[in-house]
Amino acid sequence: MDGSLRRPVGSASTDLRPTNELRLENVAKSYGGVRALKPITTTFSRGLTGIVGDNGAGKSTLMKILSGVITPDAGSMWLNDRKVAFTSPIAAKRAGVESLYQELALAETLDVTGNIFLGRELTKNFFGLRVLKHREMAASARVTLKQVRINIPDVTSMVRSLSGGQRQAVALARAIHFNAPVVLLDEPTAALGPRETASVSTIIEHLVEQGKLVIMVTHNIPQVITMATRIIVMRAGSIVWEVDPRQTSEEELMSYMVGTRTTKNG
Amino acid sequence: MADTGQGPSDQGAANQGFVPTDGRRGANGSLPVSLRREMMVGGVLRFSSLGVLIMLIIFFAAAAPGFTSALSLTNILASTSVFLLLSLGETFVMISGGIDISVGSMLGLGGVAGALYMSNNYKGGNGFSSSAGSAGLWLLVVGTIISLAVGLTGGLLNGSLVVFLKINPLIVTLATYGAFSGFADLLSNGVPVVNLPPASVTVGTGELWNIPYIVFFAGGVALVLSWVAKNTRFGRYTYAVGASREAVRRAGVNLKLHTPMLYGLSGMLAGLAGMINAAHFSTASSTSGANDLLVAIAAVVIGGTPLSGGEGRIWGTVVGALIYTLLENGFVLMNVPSFWQLPVIGLLIIIAVSLDQYQRRLRTELSAYRSLEGITAAEPEGGDGQAAGGEETVGTADQAGAGSLLKPPL
Repeated sequence: MDGSLRRPVGSASTDLRPTNELRLENVAKSYGGVRALKPITTTFSRGLTGIVGDNGAGKSTLMKILSGVITPDAGSMWLNDRKVAFTSPIAAKRAGVESLYQELALAETLDVTGNIFLGRELTKNFFGLRVLKHREMAASARVTLKQVRINIPDVTSMVRSLSGGQRQAVALARAIHFNAPVVLLDEPTAALGPRETASVSTIIEHLVEQGKLVIMVTHNIPQVITMATRIIVMRAGSIVWEVDPRQTSEEELMSYMVGTRTTKNG
Repeated sequence: MADTGQGPSDQGAANQGFVPTDGRRGANGSLPVSLRREMMVGGVLRFSSLGVLIMLIIFFAAAAPGFTSALSLTNILASTSVFLLLSLGETFVMISGGIDISVGSMLGLGGVAGALYMSNNYKGGNGFSSSAGSAGLWLLVVGTIISLAVGLTGGLLNGSLVVFLKINPLIVTLATYGAFSGFADLLSNGVPVVNLPPASVTVGTGELWNIPYIVFFAGGVALVLSWVAKNTRFGRYTYAVGASREAVRRAGVNLKLHTPMLYGLSGMLAGLAGMINAAHFSTASSTSGANDLLVAIAAVVIGGTPLSGGEGRIWGTVVGALIYTLLENGFVLMNVPSFWQLPVIGLLIIIAVSLDQYQRRLRTELSAYRSLEGITAAEPEGGDGQAAGGEETVGTADQAGAGSLLKPPL
């Protein structure tokens, strides 16, 4: 992968300008009486930010807000000092934010290409109908899948015929295909074996090398310590600690995650 | 039918050609025996609706006097044409995971609206009927546009209620079924509309090479819609919505636009069916489509589109529609009482849905097996020409889409 911000096939409306930072100010979300995310203020910079936390810590809620799947009740978001409001997933995509969802969000009866391009198909106009450019999309999907380096029989394979790891690879391919400057990864290696996890780690490293802003939610503590440039620990809807991974250990991170420590010196 | 069962993916399934990505296989280098056996059964099932159609043709040709006569075959095709239009629209809606039961009364409303315009403006008839001819061609054109517009409007209303008010499509279309029927009665004062222009009669009863015009018409619509389903963004989104509404929403597809368009298409085809029906019988009535609703949905289900959506194909529906008409005509020719027809259709629907459930279970088991063992299909499943949607899948064995009597078992 080169480091340039190439304009990928099918990305006409995506903002590909490099994103130096994504800033959140007092962003909060409640479901009825449950405060899933208490007011959060933080800044994500280029490189890989790992978010860790126990179940129910608010990680996925935060990721869904960043990807436009849900809208926050309060607070504001800024991309490169430009205020943004991701009122829908497409709004986030247009601003250059791509996501790999924990639940993958794939259409099982579409093929691999169909899923990668879903919502952004390459088409030509034919008497007002948008006719799919099958060949171009398939060729472009193959290029991206080569980058992912996880064996998928063919881009015409239906997603339902794929194993869990391969589905994860398709979702990852979709997240990186459009070369967005901000990539959100919610448990990107959850369904993968060691070999596939290593491949995904390499891809993430490439994304960071390209100058992208990558945010990854994971339960894989060793992986995040090895790869991340910054780690955020969440618990009960709040950010309880932010740390340089070179200055912490698995045990220390775990203690913040489960709440046995609440301050740096606690 | 493009699928012959001899495509690469088909062979892959039949020969259990699933190659572990890491070089591993089962103990004997293949899938477990029980799963293999079930997959072979599933492979047979994929052809069942086409097989049923062929068997019915053979059976009635042998058992029903006059079945193979030109008149009988012409009748079968003509009878299929009207409700096939309903079924084609319904196929799109059901692929998306919805259902539209208002098409029955929309056929009546669309037909009455268009026919009323023609009848009121045609001055050449005797007040009841006309003979064939070209007079009143423009009346027919405008009348058809009115039928289409009425159908489109009703369909857009259905789709809008479904997507904006988030009401279950069954409830929405049940409500509008009654409303459209009432509007048709209001328009026609509850009496059949007659005195249609000769051009209408010509289109409805004329023939080319002994084949009724309306057969060419319905066949042409089926061809176009099959292409639309496979090759357009609209078709792609229709399959995707049926597979996972949430995935489509997260992909940024505007469902508030797509859903009304989907139901609009269904309504428009119902309106068109109403006009064709009026032209064919030289009369339009508010009750015209009352018996066509069950038949239309049956054709879709028998043709392999599951109620759960995400899969299905236009040509499967055509086969399903032909099966129904064959039964109807065959029973008549064999002097079987007509009240046997509906029970047989009901039985076919139950068999179709049961086989669909069986195939789903096979797929779930195979998917679980693949996940456990880290294996995948050696050949591209490629299947579902429409679902997968790629040119590269066109003409492969698995075009039918799973969950269908015509589609792949995996």
